Amino acid sequence: MKFPWFKRIGIFFIPTSVAGWIILLFGIVFAVYSFLDIDGRSHSVSDTLMNFVFMLFIIGAVYSLIAFLTSRNHK
Amino acid sequence: MEKENFEKKLENMTKPEIQGLKHEILLADAIINAKDKSVVSWWWLSVPAFVILMLMMKSIFMPGTTLISNIHEIESTQKYMSIIFFLISPLILIMINALTIKKIYFLSGSPKSIRFLGTIWYNVIIIILSLLILIIYSI
Repeated sequence: MKFPWFKRIGIFFIPTSVAGWIILLFGIVFAVYSFLDIDGRSHSVSDTLMNFVFMLFIIGAVYSLIAFLTSRNHK
Repeated sequence: MEKENFEKKLENMTKPEIQGLKHEILLADAIINAKDKSVVSWWWLSVPAFVILMLMMKSIFMPGTTLISNIHEIESTQKYMSIIFFLISPLILIMINALTIKKIYFLSGSPKSIRFLGTIWYNVIIIILSLLILIIYSI
C-alpha cells in the first residue's frame, strides 16, 4: 500500500489521500450516528452531551491511532 | 584495452561523499516519531481523563459520593471498558513513551544536560499522567 495517508498538524491528523478522507468521513458519519443514538436514549441535554463527548474522544483516539500507523513509514 | 579502461575508471574515482550522518537522520526521525506518538497518547489519555473529570464533578454535586466510590461503581458496571481505558491503555502508553525516551536518549549520545528534557518533556508528562490514572484506578 502507498503511504502516507495522513499528515500531522498539531494534535490532529489531516488526510492527504483518498483512503485518509474515507477514514475521516467514516469517523464523522459514526460520530453523527452515535449522537442520534445517544440523544434518542438520554433524558436531558447534559446526559446527551456527556455521553457524546465520551464517544467523541473514543472515536478520536481510534482515528488518531489509525492515522499514526498510516501516516509514515515507522521504523 | 579493458584493463586500461578499468585503470582510468579507478583514477577518476573519488571518495563517496556522505551528505548527512546516518545517526543524525535516525535521531531526527526518532524525534518526529516521538511527537506523532505523543499526539496519539494524548488522544488515548483523554478518554480516562474525561471520565475522571466527570466523576469528580459527580462527587462534588452528589453528596455522599467520592471520586473513588464513583470509579468503583464504573468498575462494576462497565468492567471491560474500565479495564481497557484505566489499566491497559495507561500501561501501554507508559511502556511506549519510556521506550521512545530511551531510544532518543541513546541516539542523542546519552546527554547529561537538562536541555535533553526539552526534547522529551511531552513524553514525560504522558508517563506522569498515565501513572496518575493507574494510581487513581488502583486505590
